Amino acid sequence: MFSLMIRPLFKNKKFIIGISIFIFFLLLGILGPVFYKVDPTEMTWDYEQPPSSEHPLGTDTYGRDVLAQLFHGIRSSLYIGFLAAIISSIIGTIVGSFSAVKKGITDDILMAITNIVLTTPSMLIAILIASYLKVRSMEAVAVILGLFQWPWYARAIRAQLMSVTSREYVYLSIMAGYSDTKLVIEDLLPTIATYAFMSFVLFINGGIMGEAGLSLIGLGPTQGISLGLMLQWAVLLEAVRRGLWWWFVPPGIAIVAITASLMIISTTMDEVFNPKLREE
Amino acid sequence: MTFKPMLKFLLRRFVFLLVTYIVATTIVFILPRIIPGNPLAQMLSNLSRVAQANPEAIRAAEKTLMEEFGVDKPILVQYGQFILKALKGDLGTSISYYPRKVIDLIVPVIPWTLVLLLPATLVAWILGNTLGAMAAYRRNTWIDKGVLTAALIVSQIPYYWLGMIFIFLFGVKLGWLPVQGAYSQGTIPSFSWEFFVDALKHYIMPFASIVLSAMGGWAIGMRVMVINELGSDYALFSEYLGMKDKRIFKYAFRNSLLPQITGLALNLGTVLGGSLITEIVFNYPGTGYLLFKALTTLDYPMIQGIFVILIASVYLANFLVDFLYAWIDPRIRLGQEE
Repeated sequence: MFSLMIRPLFKNKKFIIGISIFIFFLLLGILGPVFYKVDPTEMTWDYEQPPSSEHPLGTDTYGRDVLAQLFHGIRSSLYIGFLAAIISSIIGTIVGSFSAVKKGITDDILMAITNIVLTTPSMLIAILIASYLKVRSMEAVAVILGLFQWPWYARAIRAQLMSVTSREYVYLSIMAGYSDTKLVIEDLLPTIATYAFMSFVLFINGGIMGEAGLSLIGLGPTQGISLGLMLQWAVLLEAVRRGLWWWFVPPGIAIVAITASLMIISTTMDEVFNPKLREE
Repeated sequence: MTFKPMLKFLLRRFVFLLVTYIVATTIVFILPRIIPGNPLAQMLSNLSRVAQANPEAIRAAEKTLMEEFGVDKPILVQYGQFILKALKGDLGTSISYYPRKVIDLIVPVIPWTLVLLLPATLVAWILGNTLGAMAAYRRNTWIDKGVLTAALIVSQIPYYWLGMIFIFLFGVKLGWLPVQGAYSQGTIPSFSWEFFVDALKHYIMPFASIVLSAMGGWAIGMRVMVINELGSDYALFSEYLGMKDKRIFKYAFRNSLLPQITGLALNLGTVLGGSLITEIVFNYPGTGYLLFKALTTLDYPMIQGIFVILIASVYLANFLVDFLYAWIDPRIRLGQEE
């Protein structure tokens, strides 16, 4: 059944492009630091050098190698993105499915909370919380971001489950004496699986973008290197107005390439699985 | 036509937003009190750093802050005071600009943010939706593919990074436009022609970076929405009746606008967050820049004050969008559907 779902995806050109770009950057993040063994934090006297054979992407104000920073930055940003996505997906799935299954007062309360979080600007709350934390690990940043981006997903999961549970094949399964677990695994999960996966992909985007935003405002991880932190350093040290393009262009391209590839993956999945959007 | 159902809808939304606002301000109130490390003590130590070795001034500031935070009183009393004061517009005293009031510092920067944010958001929304609808109408042509690809990439460019690229290209390399601020240094904001031209030159890049990157998302959303509408029963039926494509498209377009209006409300927070950071990149003297300064000096009363106001404005904008929605959607206007 799984291969039946996956196969049409790999017939889609756009999906292949998207997933190739993403895997390319994933590999850069994982293998880059392994093969390019330059310490991204090592300060040298070669400061603000444009790209050269010695420093393929030049150096920053402290003489740190930008390419090494980029590899480590991609790694951390993806890590934060994934972690935030896992947190959001778990909260969203639990809230959404509880609402749909329990109905009644549980549903009302959970949906009220969901709506409140949905209307509240998540980025602002993230900034507020981060401002009170003196030390922010990568994980802390991911948690702050993950805690507030689940509401739209929870609502969608709830809506989908509600419509599924009132369909005939579910009644039939119940009449056939399926246990609850079997019912959930065989009838309910497959219907939300693609949607959950698509949302997970978008949550990664939210995490990566959120990290970059938090970092730029000065509330990113207090240790390590991320794409957002690279941009923040470039802004603080006026790299933009001094024309040091090799410093702020690469992290931005990495962010855009990763998030755009994930976007492509998500939209093509929508196209493949949503009959109305399917290209005839 | 009766307006009763519309009023009911609006009243319900208003109550919801009010409750949400109370929850949000409660979070703003509770956070500094539950986070370990006693922010108040941190604040005072900051104060001594900022206020520069004038023991008397520090002591006076300390007293004001202690009173404002009311740490010696029970937490519920503190909470009540916080809400009452906030309602009166008293957001406390700034630390980094002691002894100036937070509200007096925030009010002058708000117009700058509004002037940038509102037109940029609206223009992006209109342009994005138009492009998206055009792409859907010419489905699977090169226009559609071009718009979709461009929108996919553009929508993922953070406003502020696009801003950086603009500053580098048009400000530094080509020297066409000023690289920072909202007006030239040394000029005083006034209602003169020179000032207007000067401000306009500073305005172009931050405005364009927000519009361009915000547009993509709307275009993608609109395209999917219109395609869905064009495939729905009423569109097919009209087609079988022999209605002109253009006319069907017009119906589909109008129906697709409704969810995009809801989307506008839901995206306000994201848009605001992005443009606050854009302000920082451009050293644009708006709320984002003030927030950035408050964050770097850990000026908590100011941070809190900015949040109380920003969150309130997001909810207010939400309500305005609800109003617009209720006014446009006949189902709500006529009360046929909840």
